[in-house]
Amino acid sequence: MTGLLGWIGGLFGGHAQAPEQPIASAPGERRRVDLRKAINAVSDVVQNRPRPLRVFDQIHMKAGDMVLQAEAVADWADGKRLAFIGDGDAIGLCVAYLNAHDILNFGPSHITVFDFDERTVESIIRFADRERMTNIDARLYNVLDAIETEPSYDFFYTNPPWGASNNGESVNVFVERGMEAVCHAGEGLVVIADDDELEWPKRVLASVQGFAAREGFYVSRMQRKLHEYHLDDAPELKSCNLYVSALPGNLRRPVSVAITDPRRLENFYGLSQEPRVRYIRARRRLDYGVAHEDEYELEMLERQGE
Amino acid sequence: MNKYVRPGEGLLFMKIGTHAGEDLAAIIARKTEEIRCTGFGMWGYGGNTCHPTSMVQPFARIFAERSRTIHLCMQEMDSNHRADPLAAAEFSVDGIKWQEIPETIEVRGSRYALMIDHLHEERFMLPLDQTRVPVGPSMGRLGSRYIQGRVDKACLEVIEAPEVANQGDPREIEINLVAELRDPFAVFLRGERQA
Repeated sequence: MTGLLGWIGGLFGGHAQAPEQPIASAPGERRRVDLRKAINAVSDVVQNRPRPLRVFDQIHMKAGDMVLQAEAVADWADGKRLAFIGDGDAIGLCVAYLNAHDILNFGPSHITVFDFDERTVESIIRFADRERMTNIDARLYNVLDAIETEPSYDFFYTNPPWGASNNGESVNVFVERGMEAVCHAGEGLVVIADDDELEWPKRVLASVQGFAAREGFYVSRMQRKLHEYHLDDAPELKSCNLYVSALPGNLRRPVSVAITDPRRLENFYGLSQEPRVRYIRARRRLDYGVAHEDEYELEMLERQGE
Repeated sequence: MNKYVRPGEGLLFMKIGTHAGEDLAAIIARKTEEIRCTGFGMWGYGGNTCHPTSMVQPFARIFAERSRTIHLCMQEMDSNHRADPLAAAEFSVDGIKWQEIPETIEVRGSRYALMIDHLHEERFMLPLDQTRVPVGPSMGRLGSRYIQGRVDKACLEVIEAPEVANQGDPREIEINLVAELRDPFAVFLRGERQA
């Protein structure tokens, strides 16, 4: 972790001030982060983010945790080509935006977001176009389909459905695609549930670590209970960052294939929730990003004499 | 121990009160009449803790496969629910195929509805320490630790015995109103019925 957490710690310690201007740093040195600029940048991204569909386990991370997560990802994947296997949270866009606006003077060289929700894909493309960002793109992709492995990526990131009802198999499916995207040679960051009281997050963590080991990866770092979510039915549930790295000499797998094994698809999005939808298609509308006309009506001022 | 609080039983707990400007007595009278006329009723609600396809339907099917009836156990409370009393026009089991809500039923100010039958007043104590959440991201959490703060409804399974803890008193809540859930258990609502 670079400057942000330390700066926040300083705030609580009463000896930090928001810098008026970026603090000069030596070439290649991580500059201290301007917290206000970082939060406002994440606010721009949140404003642009489509609303979550709970039926597909789309549950959004809270904004403060997004700021810290974006900095952690930028730090970890500095200079790398990074693939996001699903990104309803819009962490990829946060990282790219903070970097493009030099709020973070480090970050991935390029990000590609693969997501089956066309609203997510289009929101990234639209935002990147508006902000003249060339360090991110997005593609419509369903994780059950084979993934293109050319060009390959250095690192992958995923915050998948957490697999409470299938012992983490849905997490493993997303992780498998991430490993294919990096040709089983890079690193990955998996965001999954982490809770001391509940049993299922522990079983899922064990399942994912076992899967990673079988695929020639080892757990290189774990940051526990970091993130909170807009999750009505489990407001206390947090997630962790589980980092996996490929073992030296790990062999590339032959070819990516579609996942059709019913045992892997059972309870994919929760109990009795098998995947049935290939893509979520966006409805075209002219009032994108503003209040929809069906939300309100106007009651006019009465003019004198009328 | 009453017939609802037996190990292995499934309950859907919900706090109830004034809804969309209509007081509870009026709601009960209207729903009772709807069940008499239609053969079933639709009990409107909102929030994500009992999402129809993610929570209620999978939960209810587990118990239906065991030939168990899910009981909707409701606790009366003071509330000030301010949703507009708009009556939904259509309902859907899966959020994809929609059909008209029968004319004899009116579901006001709600995004979802439970399909119910045998609505009646009945008083008993529900020991939340003897229940667990059986589905969803809080699966395994004790009912007494789950139902707090903004969480006012839950799918619960009755376990063998109350969990004994050193901290806090046992949590029992009074149930005032009971109904049976019937297939398809919970549905989505949309649209606005034209007067």
